[in-house]
Amino acid sequence: MGRPEAQGRSAGGTIIAGREVAVPRALIVGLAALLLAIPPLLPTFYVWVLVEILAFALFAASLHLLMGTGGMVSFGHAAAFGMGAYGAALLVRWVKAPMLLALAAAPLAAAATAVVIGFFCVRLSSIYFAMLTLAFAQIAYAIAHQWYDVTGGDNGLLGIWPARWLASPVRYYYLALAASGAGLAVLAVAGRAPFGLTLRAARDHPRRAEAVGIDVRAHQWLAFVVAGFFGGLAGGIFVFLKGSVFPESLAVAVSVEPLVMVLLGGVQSLAGAPVGAALYKLLDTVVTRYTEYWQLVLGVILVAIVLVFPRGILGTLGARGRG
Amino acid sequence: MVLFLIASGLSLIFGVTRVVNFAHGSFYMLAAYLAYTLAGALPLGGASFYVAVALAALAVGAVGTLVEIALLRRVYRAPELYQLLLTFALVLVVSDVVKLVWGSENKTGPSAPGLTGAVRVAGQLVPTYDLALIALGPCVAAALWWLFYRTRWGVLIRAATLDREMVALLGVDQARLFTGVFALGSLLAGLAGALQLPRVALTTVMDAAIITEAFVVVVVGGMGSVPGALLAAVVIGVIDAFGVLLLPCSSSGRGV
Repeated sequence: MGRPEAQGRSAGGTIIAGREVAVPRALIVGLAALLLAIPPLLPTFYVWVLVEILAFALFAASLHLLMGTGGMVSFGHAAAFGMGAYGAALLVRWVKAPMLLALAAAPLAAAATAVVIGFFCVRLSSIYFAMLTLAFAQIAYAIAHQWYDVTGGDNGLLGIWPARWLASPVRYYYLALAASGAGLAVLAVAGRAPFGLTLRAARDHPRRAEAVGIDVRAHQWLAFVVAGFFGGLAGGIFVFLKGSVFPESLAVAVSVEPLVMVLLGGVQSLAGAPVGAALYKLLDTVVTRYTEYWQLVLGVILVAIVLVFPRGILGTLGARGRG
Repeated sequence: MVLFLIASGLSLIFGVTRVVNFAHGSFYMLAAYLAYTLAGALPLGGASFYVAVALAALAVGAVGTLVEIALLRRVYRAPELYQLLLTFALVLVVSDVVKLVWGSENKTGPSAPGLTGAVRVAGQLVPTYDLALIALGPCVAAALWWLFYRTRWGVLIRAATLDREMVALLGVDQARLFTGVFALGSLLAGLAGALQLPRVALTTVMDAAIITEAFVVVVVGGMGSVPGALLAAVVIGVIDAFGVLLLPCSSSGRGV
């Protein structure tokens, strides 16, 4: 009697249902201007770090659509990232595709994979959803790891560099900024569009959502594919940054990274994802300079997030701002 | 059988607390390394290996208890995501602590005194130690059965697996029950890890390897079911053994 009404089986799980933290528009515009103006003045190393942050900001934001807006916590989002990375790399390696075409194919490859994976996963409820996404990512990892003739196994695929006219760090940075910025903008719009609102309804009360005529599974499936698409784009940006791809881009660690980023930034708002990604990558860069035990530090940060700051940076700041 | 030990602990923890414990493999690895150090350090001659195994398992059981009290107890009510992340954080921490303390090169443990030989079974040489482990599996299973079906605590655990809220309503102290279950599960993982010492080289990635297999066993056997874990461990073990013969490169492709 005192129990909450039993929920039908659906991929959505409960995630903190907090109020969305609004980021002032002026701040976003200012940040964008800064990102446009600053890089030519920075040493090359920091330009590379920025590109990596851009890739991971998009990656984390794509996961946010799934776990924040959709309430589906994926533990296998590396599948999207890795499929994007491998999709682009394989095209360059075996078809000698031009770089821009390969980059454009990355999100498509990932979205196609997400269509298949999502078809099965959205049928499961929260924790089983997480485990099944993890299992699919592991299968993808195993394929990349063992199919030597095509993927190069653990040796990976090397020499996947950007086209010559984009090869300079700053030029590649602007390409990454454009791709990642466009992706983030689309995700932001999608989150507020009727599509995003529908997803939230499905997250908060699947049964009621169904009762008002929403096809919950179809929307969750679509969200999975969209998240896969932008995760793949992030993977494509990443592969041309590193010039290589290894099976590790499909490993569990890569699935957990965006989860940490989203939570670090704050799961309530999409802006949390890029904030978390930036902080995470900066920490990574700084900490690995001093110690090889980055995982230890990361583990402690995770424990702190879970126990002390479950709302992340933006959530904590937002709560303080409202007083 | 080692797979059964670790999977039964994992299944037990999930069944009662509904926490998917990624750190289970880390407990297993920690116990193996602890047993390695203890077996070398204890001045008990032939018995030191067995004492080391027991001590390592108990120590890991204690670590599990501490983890439950200090960390997990705070997040039972939180969304599952936070529980998963917390246990994953433990995986990262334990893995680096093991690297920090024992270094990242592989280690080979001592063999078990008194069980070093091999026996000819159907024309194949089988190490005596493996036979002892095979015999140990059913013993542990029987002990668990006795615990679950013949003690009050076991009744509570089975009841909690079926319906946590009802058990709490009937006045059972859930916090203590959960701690006890987590301790038992970690103890089983620790025992499994320590017993692996004479069989495999210790590496810093053995946690990830075993946790995947254990998850497969737990899912195949039914999440939360210990008898299921026993059956599934045997089935998966056999499939794995023959699978490696038939499809040499399939070994890591097992999805859930």
